[in-house]
Amino acid sequence: MPEETPGGRGKTIQSVESALAVVEVIRRKERAGVTEIANELDRSKSTVHHYVTTLVKQDYLEKVDGEYQLSLRFLTLGGQVREREQLYHLGKDDVDKLAQETGEQARLIVERNGSGITLYQATGNHVTEPITHVGSIEALYCTAAGKVFLAELSEEELDSYLDSVSITPYTENTITDADKLREELDKIQDRGVAFDDEERYEGYRCVASAISTEERELFGALSVSAPIDRMDEERFRTDIPNQLQNVAGVVEINTTYSEWTDVL
Amino acid sequence: MESTALTVGIVGLGAHGTNHVERLRELGHKVYGVDANTTARREFRERYNATTFESLDELYAQDLDAVIISTPNKFHETAAVDALEADHNVLLEKPLAHTLASAERIADAANRTSNVCMVGFHHRYRNACQVVKSYVEDGYLGEITHIDAQFIRRRGVPGRGTWYTSQDIAGGGALIDVGAHVLDLLFFWTDWPTITDAMAASRSDFGQHDDYTYLHMWGEDDRGKMYDVEDSVTAFCEFDSGMTANIQVAWAANMASTHSYRLRGTEAGMTIDITNTLQEVEPDIDQRNDLQLYEARSGRRNHFVNSEIIVSSNDPYRDELETFLDAVQSGKRPKMTNVEQALDVQRAIDRIYRASQ
Repeated sequence: MPEETPGGRGKTIQSVESALAVVEVIRRKERAGVTEIANELDRSKSTVHHYVTTLVKQDYLEKVDGEYQLSLRFLTLGGQVREREQLYHLGKDDVDKLAQETGEQARLIVERNGSGITLYQATGNHVTEPITHVGSIEALYCTAAGKVFLAELSEEELDSYLDSVSITPYTENTITDADKLREELDKIQDRGVAFDDEERYEGYRCVASAISTEERELFGALSVSAPIDRMDEERFRTDIPNQLQNVAGVVEINTTYSEWTDVL
Repeated sequence: MESTALTVGIVGLGAHGTNHVERLRELGHKVYGVDANTTARREFRERYNATTFESLDELYAQDLDAVIISTPNKFHETAAVDALEADHNVLLEKPLAHTLASAERIADAANRTSNVCMVGFHHRYRNACQVVKSYVEDGYLGEITHIDAQFIRRRGVPGRGTWYTSQDIAGGGALIDVGAHVLDLLFFWTDWPTITDAMAASRSDFGQHDDYTYLHMWGEDDRGKMYDVEDSVTAFCEFDSGMTANIQVAWAANMASTHSYRLRGTEAGMTIDITNTLQEVEPDIDQRNDLQLYEARSGRRNHFVNSEIIVSSNDPYRDELETFLDAVQSGKRPKMTNVEQALDVQRAIDRIYRASQ
């Protein structure tokens, strides 16, 4: 019997799944040796060895000091995928502007299959080490952008999301109680701005605003994050939200008129 | 005017667009509409039983006599340049564009294609404003030395939180919006002098505050969304003609609303007050424009003469539209509110913004 996958119907090929699982382990660990991967996936070392050898041969992995890491081929793939995203073209300049104006890390985030993916990010001059990179995947319930997406869900959709997700208490502030999360999401609907008060990363606060148009509904979020010592209550609750909404509004209008102005 | 029915493409189907449509229909003309927004298109179709399009290309491919553009300022350029290049005559809502560079590109396209390109500085069409011009050009006031100009709304931020209050989309706040009218009138009356020096200050005191108390809002109130423009500007300008001007514009101020001008000439002075039209998109037909003439004479005794000038009221939007449609039919590019003058206004706006930084 072919297995039914959550993403669609039809047969799946187990070895492709295994190869991708290997890739995923290496992505998470940045670098890993055969033994480490084998333990992680509960597979034999010789099987894992076949997979990594194949992937190296196909140019998807490279071997460094006896360990494996993802090759730049993934940037080729990722770069092309990002080019295809209209929001990237419509929002890129505004993210740069936001990073420059705030001096902090600004990001464009889209939602795919229950996670938030950073489509583009820029850093202002206060930032030495950004907390995420392009393509970072984050949970929805504990991030500002994620909450923007959750706030748009119907009650049934939200219930099914909460049933499917296991909430990790990343920090003391992570909201682990479903009712408390619902309460917070109600507030977001009123204002269109969501907050992450050290709920994902200790010491980091993040604010996000929805990007939606009548034609496209919610299709992305714009966020600004900063360490708490640069993000006092006033900046967190008022200044950054105002700046974000100015920019989110511009991206929305530019999107509405994008057909006229020949933006991708 | 000849009663030839024309076909006019309306680009941007918001309040300004439909304002033009009402008058076009009274005059018996046919309209098509285009807007990037689905709701605006649907409402337009339902209200006027007119064909609408989603893209500019589709509209411009029609057999049109003219195009009227009232999109957000940032999209004036794409709408106008495409229209002009498709060989259509164009009337744009003021200001010409959101930036000087964008305004220059529109003027270039108009000149390159030799099509009619006018900008909707409708206040200029008011009878009272035309009468002021006639006194100035007849030399009755002598040389104009100074003008005090005030366009102050007590509470009149247009569409708070919408594109009107976005720097990126509108290109500015009170100055580029109502200040554009002020500069247009000043230039019109005094024969287009150039600003040689300017001092200016801009403020944003009302916009994003939750306690913005108002009685009337032009457009919708989308509190908490975009607001990064100024809501008032005070400027002092010197012109190459030797004239000076004090300009005060405000979308909101704790002060009585006024839209008025005081012109000081070497021979006589004039005041004009067109405040009572401030709240009206369609002006009240019985409106009264306060127009006064100030002179000093010597008869047997030296004396002052203060004269009240009475003019009939008119619908400036309609006169603007008729001027445009006449130009379209005759193919003669008009002197009134043309693209070159609108570009001069844009230069002045840019100059004052730079002075305020």
